[in-house]
Amino acid sequence: MKEICLEFYKIRRRKIWVTIVALLGIQCLWALWAFRDMNAKELSQGYMQCLYHFSVFNTILMPMIAAITASRICDLEHKGQTFKLLLTTMPAGILFDAKFICASLYMAAAGAAQTLFIIILGKTAGFTEPFPPGYLVYYLITTVTVTITILALQQVVSILFSNQMIPLIVGITGSFAGLFSLFLPPGIQKGILWSYYGVLTPVKMNWDFQTKIADLQYIPVDWSGFLLLLGLLAAIYLTGRWCFTRKER
Amino acid sequence: MLWNVLRGERMKLRRSPVWLAFLILPVLPAFMGTFNYLQNIEILEDGWYSLWTQHTLFTCYFFLPATIAVYCSYLFRLEHTNHNWNRVMTLPVPELHLYLAKLITASAMVVLTQIWVGILFILSGILSGLSDPVPPELFEWLLFGTMGGVVICSVQLLLSLIIRSFAVPVGIAIAGGILGIAALSKGLGAFYPYTLLSLGMRANSPGGPMACSKEQFLAGCLFYLAASTAVAFIWLRKKDVVSV
Repeated sequence: MKEICLEFYKIRRRKIWVTIVALLGIQCLWALWAFRDMNAKELSQGYMQCLYHFSVFNTILMPMIAAITASRICDLEHKGQTFKLLLTTMPAGILFDAKFICASLYMAAAGAAQTLFIIILGKTAGFTEPFPPGYLVYYLITTVTVTITILALQQVVSILFSNQMIPLIVGITGSFAGLFSLFLPPGIQKGILWSYYGVLTPVKMNWDFQTKIADLQYIPVDWSGFLLLLGLLAAIYLTGRWCFTRKER
Repeated sequence: MLWNVLRGERMKLRRSPVWLAFLILPVLPAFMGTFNYLQNIEILEDGWYSLWTQHTLFTCYFFLPATIAVYCSYLFRLEHTNHNWNRVMTLPVPELHLYLAKLITASAMVVLTQIWVGILFILSGILSGLSDPVPPELFEWLLFGTMGGVVICSVQLLLSLIIRSFAVPVGIAIAGGILGIAALSKGLGAFYPYTLLSLGMRANSPGGPMACSKEQFLAGCLFYLAASTAVAFIWLRKKDVVSV
């Protein structure tokens, strides 16, 4: 607990939340623009529309938010050359854990803010679809879990390399691969970490090529995909932590 | 003097893997865009032009501005660390040359990226079995795209000069790229620095004319280049360095 507080103390004047809030704000503006002038049919699928489109927005933006947050939290140690000093007061593994928990709390807050925004949008825009609390909770859990898994990978790269170009390029490439994979078959999607926002989305779009009408529907939760994601999180986190504890400084 | 500063920039980048990002990143849209094109070939009927949109659409809006931002942050990284601003500002080098050398270095990378994008596009088209000749407009798309990329370089270099954090300018570039979609939809693409790349490369309308006139496009490029350079010069001349 003391180590986590120390992490927050170190970043108290870095205004890390500003970048996150700014990017989330743009995401919300984008959503407001996309959901303007909804017709009766769209209002009757309002929450489905939100969950579907937010999953796509998240594929583009959340990996970048995770990459930037991890980079800023780790870069302050590289810039100040403080690793050696810190490791005389705490084990390397604990430092890794504290940084991860600190950054994860930001990601969880971002996921919660998105979900809250969807609820407020639903109430103010007058969605006629019945309020789906279960799907919103599922959306929150999956969004935060995918983001935290990506964050774990970003933190590993950010903490192992002092050149912060490498983790940010990993973030951009991942986000890119995730976005493109939304057009690929589900089997391939499951092999790309950044595409899990789409893999675990609880809404599916049915596109009728003849009538050119898109219809949305809820689909059963993909628990096998979620378990696979948790396995990935554990593998990335434990491998990264192991590499960091054994790295010579 | 500018030549010497440029040589200095080259020396700083020696053995740095920055070029890898620009080599790898265009391969992704080329591979996945071609795959998507082949999957939807019955809808995408315009041959080379459809393939071009698949290659460039997301790249121009989101990912190339972000990659350029990473590169620009990297170019200023050395100055922002180890009290190096104190050393740099005591060198007998005009302030303008410091900024211009970085702008030329970043622009050279954009030129190489555009050539690489062109090569990948032609290769993808041939491998996809497109029998028509390569569109004659390809050179123009790449040339105007380069101009748009150089504008993003100038803006991002200014941001990386002012903001000491490595990641924050990258965040601004991503936000800029996304807001660019709104600017384009409102017909303001020529007035917004992050849309000049997609406008120049005709990312969403390769078969037709640019969404603005060429004069408007060039005026937009020149304005942002001149404004960024002027602000950077004033910043370097007037603002006291902050060294960490």
